[in-house]
Amino acid sequence: MSATRISVDHVARVEGHGDIRVVIEDGAVTTCEMAVVEPARLFESMVLGRSFGEVPYIASRVCGICSASHVVTDLRAIERVFGVGVTDRTEALRELLVYGSYLQNHATHLFVFAAPDFLGHKSVFPLADANPELLERALGLKALGNELCTLVGGRSIHPITAVVGGFTHEIDAGEYRRLAEAMDAARDFALASVDLFRDFDTLDIQTEGDLLAMVAPGAYPVCTSDTARFVEGGYEFSAQAVEEEIEEYAVGHSGAFLARARRTGRPYMTAALARVNASWDALCKDARYVAAKAGLRPPERNPFANNIAQAVELVDVLDRCAALCRRLAADEFSGASAPVPFTVRAGRGVGFTEAPRGALFHLLELNGEGRVTRASIMTPTAQNIANLEADMRQLAEKMVAAGFDGDMIRLEIEKLVRAYDPCLSCSVH
Amino acid sequence: MNKIRRPSEGTAPRVVLIGLASCFGCQINITNIEAHLLEVLGQIDMAYWQLTSSDPMPDAFDVAVIEGAVTTEEAAATVRAARERARCVIAIGACAATGGIPGMAADDLAAHSARVYGDAAPRACGAMRAPVPVSAVVDVDFTVPCCPIDPFQFVRVLDAALYGSNRLEATSVLCGECKRNERGCFFQDGTLCLGLVTRSGCGAKCPALGRPCNGCAGLSPDGNVRAARFVAARSGMEVRRFDEALAMFNAVALAAADEEGGNR
Repeated sequence: MSATRISVDHVARVEGHGDIRVVIEDGAVTTCEMAVVEPARLFESMVLGRSFGEVPYIASRVCGICSASHVVTDLRAIERVFGVGVTDRTEALRELLVYGSYLQNHATHLFVFAAPDFLGHKSVFPLADANPELLERALGLKALGNELCTLVGGRSIHPITAVVGGFTHEIDAGEYRRLAEAMDAARDFALASVDLFRDFDTLDIQTEGDLLAMVAPGAYPVCTSDTARFVEGGYEFSAQAVEEEIEEYAVGHSGAFLARARRTGRPYMTAALARVNASWDALCKDARYVAAKAGLRPPERNPFANNIAQAVELVDVLDRCAALCRRLAADEFSGASAPVPFTVRAGRGVGFTEAPRGALFHLLELNGEGRVTRASIMTPTAQNIANLEADMRQLAEKMVAAGFDGDMIRLEIEKLVRAYDPCLSCSVH
Repeated sequence: MNKIRRPSEGTAPRVVLIGLASCFGCQINITNIEAHLLEVLGQIDMAYWQLTSSDPMPDAFDVAVIEGAVTTEEAAATVRAARERARCVIAIGACAATGGIPGMAADDLAAHSARVYGDAAPRACGAMRAPVPVSAVVDVDFTVPCCPIDPFQFVRVLDAALYGSNRLEATSVLCGECKRNERGCFFQDGTLCLGLVTRSGCGAKCPALGRPCNGCAGLSPDGNVRAARFVAARSGMEVRRFDEALAMFNAVALAAADEEGGNR
């Protein structure tokens, strides 16, 4: 009997701490674990008793890279409880904030985390010698995301200005116009990024589970809809019913709860790839065109294609941000962004957004003083782990059958893990 | 006192970056100074940074930069091992500096864990212990405060650690810094703000953008918590609210002060 053990402690170039454990015995994969070895972070308990004004500020600290998404999601949950309707201008600013984190996240993930896998480097730094222009433009795109978050949210991480009902501060029209021009100037690089990731070789696997994304008629929504769709299952549900639709369950090897769809019992992937599958028709024209040129069109179920989907979203997001900034500068949205008045009341609400890495749900129950009595957070990565493990197993089985050795299998599994763009620190909350 | 350390003769100082329980935001913020990142990295041997590279942690290094709070026995061991090997330890961010947001769970940790995980937390979470700042486990030479850190402040501190500096840490409270922004005071309209007791140095970014200070920079050595409670009460705010707000980033320090007889 021959056994191959693949073991990676603290997978590099991902956010947070995760170990890979795969055992192959006599050609069969007997163990396949993505162990999330993150210390307990206890956010769902720490916010109990806290007042609604502090809660988004605390929830932001779940994740450094998608802090904007955690804030907007929490605000949506609180506003659902209080029955607050925000102005169109505030909605537009929240979209900008979320898109800012898309630019930050996708540029970091694609170039700093994922690209070295395909270029044969251990980190992004050798790129400084090998291809300085690529590195400079990649960092420039990330910097643009930081600038957008800073101008709209007050700083690049953990936004300051977004509060229940609106924003405490807003930039002037000239700054919106300057941002729009910067978005336009970054377009050609985003388009080239799609081609770059298209040309990287990946193995052909089809993801095991379903795909989950926010949907809205005629839109590619990220924070303006309350409806989620299981693409394969072919059904939609309201975010308010997330607990009836998605089951979280614990396993010993993960500090994060895993997830599966209650109706089908299947694991699922939620990510840029799921969004592109769910809302392909609503991508901006250029993004759709460049995606089609790269061979990415629904149904696309190879999880490695998540890299290309993120690159396509860079094109899409730049286009949308430029338009939003121009409309904000021209004062085309109704209402002001200053917080609207509201009355504190008890109730239950679920906030739902598409974070850069996929669907994010925050459930909050508040008492009559606006203090939290129950909180449940479901991050994209926590939802993805069960499906990632299933895909890791499939990949390992295929490679064993094709006669690859343990080292090759390990490298490909690491690539797969990074293609999911996991945030392991975030997944434990 | 800050110690001035000099890099080894003739070789670039070797730096490692260790992430404990945190949102990774401070590490990300270091990558957010894109234009300067490569200049900074060009002067040091960035020997270990799991976020960006698959190179393993080396046995010897000059500077250990630590992000996150110590929340497990494993993390405490990591920090002790880093202290033994490094000539200089820099704690970055509120979690590492004050216990930060994770510190909110320090009081009755078992109950917090039970509410999230039930009877037992998964073994993957490690051996949990009440969250504390890095300085509660080992001596720390330099601290970069705030949630998240200001990356330029990190560069200044790294520079001081490597080459020495006569610049002292800010100790005054935030209010002075905020006044110079001429934006008025939250207390005037009955809104609680923690600038009265929080360490200055951030430029009073949040108040300047319309949000009260949440105390992420930690308690100022010049801050007088008892006097601040009095001011809050005089301005019509409940002292309980003041303490609760302050515990968001400073739970560990407040608990320690209570044990010493509440003299802060």
